[in-house]
Amino acid sequence: MLIGIDVGGTTTDAVLIDKGKTIKTSKVPTDHDHLLECLMGALDEVVREVLTEEIERVVLSTTLITNLIAEGKADPVALIIEPGPGMNPEESRLDGEVRIVGGAIDYRGREIQPLDEDQVKKAAAALAERGYRRVAVASKFGQRNHSHEEKMREIVLRTHPEMTVEMGHRASGRLNFPRRAATAVLKAAAQERYRKFAEEVAEAISKRDIKAPIYILKADGGTLPLATSIEHPVETIFSGPAASTMGVLALTPPGQTSVVVDIGGTTTDLALILDGVPLISSKGARVDSHLTHIRAFAVKSVALGGDSRVRAEGQTVTLGPDRAGPAFCLGGPQPTPTDAMKLLKLISIGDISLAEEAMAKLGRDLGCSAGEAAQKVVDAAVEILIGEIDEMFLAWEEEPAYRVWEILQKERIRPQNVVGVGGGSLGLIPLVAERLGAEGIIPEDAAVANAIGAAVARPTLTLSLRADTERGFYTVAEDGTTGEIRDKKLGQKEAEALAKRLIVERAERMGIGEYAGEAEVTSSEVFNMVRGWATTGRILDVGMQIPAGLIPEWTGGGRG
Amino acid sequence: MRSSREQKGEPRKMGLIFFPAFDWAITPTHPEREERLLYTRDQIFEEGLMDLPEVEEYKPRLAEHKDIARVHFCIPSVEALVTEAHLIAAGSTLVLADAYMKGDITNAFALVRPPGHHSMRVAHGNRGFCNVNNEAIMVEYIRKKYGIRRVAIIDTDVHHGDGTQEIFYHDPDVLFISFHQDGRTLYPGSGFVDEQGGPKAIGRTINIPLPPETPDEGIHYVLEELVLPILKEFRPQLVVNSAGQDNHYTDPLANMRFSAQGYARLNEMLAPDIAVLEGGYAIETALPYVNCGIILAMAGLDYSNVREPDYHPGRFSMSRTMEANITGTVEYLQGIWEAREELTAKAVERAGPFFRRRKDIFYDTDGIRERQTESVKMCPDKGCPGYMTIDTDAARGYGHSDSGFGVFVPLFACKSCREEGREEYEAHKTDSRYNYIFFQDKNRDDYRLYSTRMHNERVY
Repeated sequence: MLIGIDVGGTTTDAVLIDKGKTIKTSKVPTDHDHLLECLMGALDEVVREVLTEEIERVVLSTTLITNLIAEGKADPVALIIEPGPGMNPEESRLDGEVRIVGGAIDYRGREIQPLDEDQVKKAAAALAERGYRRVAVASKFGQRNHSHEEKMREIVLRTHPEMTVEMGHRASGRLNFPRRAATAVLKAAAQERYRKFAEEVAEAISKRDIKAPIYILKADGGTLPLATSIEHPVETIFSGPAASTMGVLALTPPGQTSVVVDIGGTTTDLALILDGVPLISSKGARVDSHLTHIRAFAVKSVALGGDSRVRAEGQTVTLGPDRAGPAFCLGGPQPTPTDAMKLLKLISIGDISLAEEAMAKLGRDLGCSAGEAAQKVVDAAVEILIGEIDEMFLAWEEEPAYRVWEILQKERIRPQNVVGVGGGSLGLIPLVAERLGAEGIIPEDAAVANAIGAAVARPTLTLSLRADTERGFYTVAEDGTTGEIRDKKLGQKEAEALAKRLIVERAERMGIGEYAGEAEVTSSEVFNMVRGWATTGRILDVGMQIPAGLIPEWTGGGRG
Repeated sequence: MRSSREQKGEPRKMGLIFFPAFDWAITPTHPEREERLLYTRDQIFEEGLMDLPEVEEYKPRLAEHKDIARVHFCIPSVEALVTEAHLIAAGSTLVLADAYMKGDITNAFALVRPPGHHSMRVAHGNRGFCNVNNEAIMVEYIRKKYGIRRVAIIDTDVHHGDGTQEIFYHDPDVLFISFHQDGRTLYPGSGFVDEQGGPKAIGRTINIPLPPETPDEGIHYVLEELVLPILKEFRPQLVVNSAGQDNHYTDPLANMRFSAQGYARLNEMLAPDIAVLEGGYAIETALPYVNCGIILAMAGLDYSNVREPDYHPGRFSMSRTMEANITGTVEYLQGIWEAREELTAKAVERAGPFFRRRKDIFYDTDGIRERQTESVKMCPDKGCPGYMTIDTDAARGYGHSDSGFGVFVPLFACKSCREEGREEYEAHKTDSRYNYIFFQDKNRDDYRLYSTRMHNERVY
């Protein structure tokens, strides 16, 4: 039996799945100050009357980190950067306390200026003086040569043993230094609280005599063992929308192109599944004002929901972005889209006479009947959603590309399905689908699709290898692993084999070794390095991944 | 020109297309290979330039064959001459041109390869790493689509922009200025001060040969004393930088002493509306820094921290002789510019009813030797540049030769030149001396290729 629990903004949902069927669900209100109690409350409801030894897997998705950061409750972190030549570091827009030190590394990982150790000492002293206990250190191209970041860390720890230091190359090894620095800062800021939370969760679950492995869902729809996740706290951000998308993947036929529409009270989250693969944002996630390297689904949040405020402007209506609800038909103060849908019989909840009253009031402002007013509200909502969905597909089509084949192969695609999940305004789904010429799908378990998604998601993993045979070393972007390369003529096949070996090792370190076989090569390039008229070496780039997908135990829904 | 975006008072935004063509090379060890922009990619991505609110990254598209045919007589055909990579490089400039003309961006940089400024109107193959001329394709697209007339192209590549010069040589509305390492010391061996434009466009082509080893100071002097004052007077509606990066002190194919700071400053001073990458083959020691500097300068950001690892201010200076050489050239060209109207009148008078010149053109990359005779009608209508015909014969290797006859009717040609041009084209369809007959009528946006062997006509 599989258990999935999703802590959402309003409710915490749990499901119990047995042999590909959802056999039990629960919903409890989310209390952001007591997340552990919510999780356990939802869990207890589904595991009652179940033999705990039959539980094979527990997966959680949580808003903990999202809220910590949004509410500014994360621990304060200062940043020491070694920017080297290039942009003026003052214009890099890194927030918070930033100290700049001298030294430089270039794009191939060569030291072009030694680290100014004295400046590091002074920066550390100044930060200690200001009360900082957490520091992130980041050097431009630090992922291609860790030595300066390691030296910075060593100096800070030697002079201030009470501090903890996070290094940029450990947060991510992808190009984009400001994002790497910001990701390292978030990691340092969230780590302690996340560790505490993870330990409490593990303890609470073990108290219930559940011995099954516990996983946490990441923003890219993959799961990670709870124990390993302590090293990757920020990757658990935005796991809510990831859970819904994975739920849709589980509940629709495989290999199809779908828009996931999760309509909540005040916002609607949109995500895309292209040919059965959830679309990942090409750049990392934006967390508040921070641009990061965190891998996440490309989710678009639209300020429209069942509780949005409805305003009459002349003869037209506008919706949102603020909240008016709960809906009038559910005892709220003002007309909302939910009232309009109720009156048009698109949804079943609510009191029809209250809905009529709300729409009649709106109709008076618009100079039309209650029914016409309701139609205008629904039309406006559909219009907004259609526009946003179109924009998402366009944005995907317009993603920059750097290779001839990428430009040639990208075609225009539009959704086969519009899939509604979440509790609320599912009545809009068929209307949106009709306008897009797609099929509207509302899965049977739409209300708990998020928890189902968490329960059946498999681990994800990426590995980006860069080998520089002229300099004789390779680096792995994800965690900054480096190693030696002796063969100057290392070929593409050998580089891919190396990448495969490294991803297996990485999977084992992450506690997901059994999925390493799912890893596939996603890109592979060779650049001959020519100096003068002779080939002096090669740069090889290999990308591998275990993409978001479903565990083999899941056989329900549309899986064929 | 002030962009419509600036006129609307919106914040600055620079449009950028980065298209390194990581899967395209002329040959595996050619300077124009996959690796060329690899380290540039590393540097500009690592800086996070694409995340800046002042920078908007666009996706390239393929140019249409018609966009190529608007500029070039491609032999044997557009399809045969260009690869997809060429269409994407040219198409990138068109994406940015549209964004610029619509006012979505303040200025733009097409950081794309393959390059184009050595490609002339007649294109038999690859010359100086170029098959088709990206800047010319963009300029003619903009002029046709958006109805602007006066354009200035400043070629800042170390090599003479002979292709762009040739395409616009008789066009009085296109000011072409190229500064470059003296043609007596570098490919393509042209770009001397006496190449000043066709009879009706004297002074609209300005060549500034510079002595080898000219540093930042020398080029900035030329800009300040000659280029900027001329631009001010010419009042172009669009300024294009044909932006080569091979004046750099580490470039392996040339001998100048320009730095990344020098390039950034140049772009700040020139303030081009659209810059298009041309050459530059110091792929590690120059390009990452030069491109970073140009992007920052065009985005209006501080570039003072951009520097090559081995550079320090004052590293290169000018000798007295070099200084005298450059000031002499500048003074001479100032004179030409000031006297351009008289010189034009004299040249037209001297030319008679048709201006004719013969050209020998060598395609270094493809080893083609071409002979051309160009003939331009000296139309009595002062505002009409006159239609032009080109007779071309190209020898490839042993025994094989391609001959063609092309008729070109400029965008702002008068009615009778348009008609005469059309008649010339029709008349030559039966001329068995040529394999191919070409026609360009920019006014009607009508481009044709007739094969005298196959007796069929292709309309682009």
